[in-house]
Amino acid sequence: MADSIVIKTEGLVKEFGDGVRAVDGVSFEIERGEIVGYLGPNGAGKTTTIKILTNLIKPTSGRALINGFDVNRHPKDALKDVGSLIGVPGVYSYLTPAEFLNYFGRVYRMPKEKIDQRIEEVLKMVDLLKWKDSKIGTFSTGMERRLAIARSIFHDPSILILDEPVLGLDPEGIKEIRELIKSFQKEDVTVFLSSHLLDEVSRVCDSVIFLYGGKVIERDSVKKIDEILKQYRLIDVELLNSINEHDLNKLKDMEVIDQVQKLGENRLRLTKTDGDPVSTAEILREVVENGFKVVSYSPERSNLEDFYVSLMKEKEGSR
Amino acid sequence: MKSIRDDIAEDLYNTWLTISFELKNHFRRKRVIISFSLAVILPLIFYVVPKIWAEFPDSADEFASLSLSFVNLLIIIAGSLFAGDVISGEFEEKTGLLLFPTPQRHMTIFIGKYIGALIPTMMVVSIYYLTTSVEVIGIYGTGALNHNMAKSFLVALVYTTSAVSVVFFFSSLLQRKITSMLLGFFSLMMILPVISNVLQFIVEVEPWYIVTYSAGLITDVFAVTMTIGGGPGGQFLLFTPDFHLGLVVMVVYTLVFLFLGILISIKRRMR
Repeated sequence: MADSIVIKTEGLVKEFGDGVRAVDGVSFEIERGEIVGYLGPNGAGKTTTIKILTNLIKPTSGRALINGFDVNRHPKDALKDVGSLIGVPGVYSYLTPAEFLNYFGRVYRMPKEKIDQRIEEVLKMVDLLKWKDSKIGTFSTGMERRLAIARSIFHDPSILILDEPVLGLDPEGIKEIRELIKSFQKEDVTVFLSSHLLDEVSRVCDSVIFLYGGKVIERDSVKKIDEILKQYRLIDVELLNSINEHDLNKLKDMEVIDQVQKLGENRLRLTKTDGDPVSTAEILREVVENGFKVVSYSPERSNLEDFYVSLMKEKEGSR
Repeated sequence: MKSIRDDIAEDLYNTWLTISFELKNHFRRKRVIISFSLAVILPLIFYVVPKIWAEFPDSADEFASLSLSFVNLLIIIAGSLFAGDVISGEFEEKTGLLLFPTPQRHMTIFIGKYIGALIPTMMVVSIYYLTTSVEVIGIYGTGALNHNMAKSFLVALVYTTSAVSVVFFFSSLLQRKITSMLLGFFSLMMILPVISNVLQFIVEVEPWYIVTYSAGLITDVFAVTMTIGGGPGGQFLLFTPDFHLGLVVMVVYTLVFLFLGILISIKRRMR
């Protein structure tokens, strides 16, 4: 494994007792300092992959390597430089944040002075410093979540594995976490981030891995996806009359339109992939000339979410 | 590459960290106050009641045997309180999502949790014996404390390890902490004693392989084997567990249930 590659999975397969293959031959590599998003619909295998990567479960076959160490065979070596936040963990309600972090600091073999210093730093970072010696059991869900985040970065890990890190946070909290993840880029921290909030992913990640049915179906840099999306033009159209099958077929037959999607009784989404703004004017003219009474017509730029949805539709269509 | 010695030292240190973490967790909860209070109150009842309304037994051994007849119950209560949710709690409360993805072998965490539950339970037993010993000295004088008390204490401690193992096993097996605590409690309090009594009194076979039967040694070390009258058929045969065999049975229960508990915990997946 090249030095620059810090996370690697080789043909990961995870089959559960009921015969369900949650992860089906997942292979990818992540280089040092990269911030990679891991996307997929519910049940795609994102959390299963992350659980294998953090030694919560063992793969049926394949390997997960961190810094060259097999996570399941050598967890002590593989996970010593990894911070993780998986799902919505519980907290030890009878302890205080200082006691809670102190234990994890000792697990990561941090010196006592460093533990004391980091307790102040990370609790300040997640805005919990004034509750340092309060019982965690008295905390709100948001505070518990922030404490779990503090735990994941407490030992200054060079690799962060985050599964839905902003779940349960208010908009301000989400913004803070986004800024925090972005700041890791400067510090050369590698981040592997699973989230269903595509906007979050597009804002903080360098590249994105798309997972579907337990398989990696696409991997691209966010920049490249952005380039592809520039070619996409989505037009939301509202018509005066309701749309029937005949109308849909008529629209689909138009050469200027690549895709037609019915959104409601009289609402449509038209897709054009050449990215030429002139085309949207042409589309409007063609639609009107074909007898459709247009109430509103709004061309929009596609985002990561549209790219994701089109990928998923493509996959579902090919099934 | 680390040497095997360093690797083991690291594992031992991790186990120690879990033990101290568990103890901190236990000592912050009301269950410590409850069980420690019971360890003082129960033997005090055996002192206060005869002192006010009756007379103390003739010998120190009789008094100790009477007073310690409830230590078995306390071991089960304390064991269920301290070990009943050590594993199931990590899964039910999802605290395991913080604890398990750390650079330590899961086995060291589970062993640490077992010992972390064993220590406060043993402390409860020790307090009970200490209170009873003080009472014996107070009533019969210092010379009344004999080796039977030490033997009984030893048996109680060994039984504690097996009781905690049984409860730990249920904690690793079951999803909810309340279920694991209750099943651990009732298996030691009711299920095993009922089986033991059926075998003794109906089948008339000595249930030497049942750990709660062996636990009878806690008070049996003060007395001798006896038969008691009663029942439609005349007399019940009352078996008395053999001291050494009883200890072996307890050790076997400790090892088997601990091993199974750890194995299940390792195999168990975090949802």
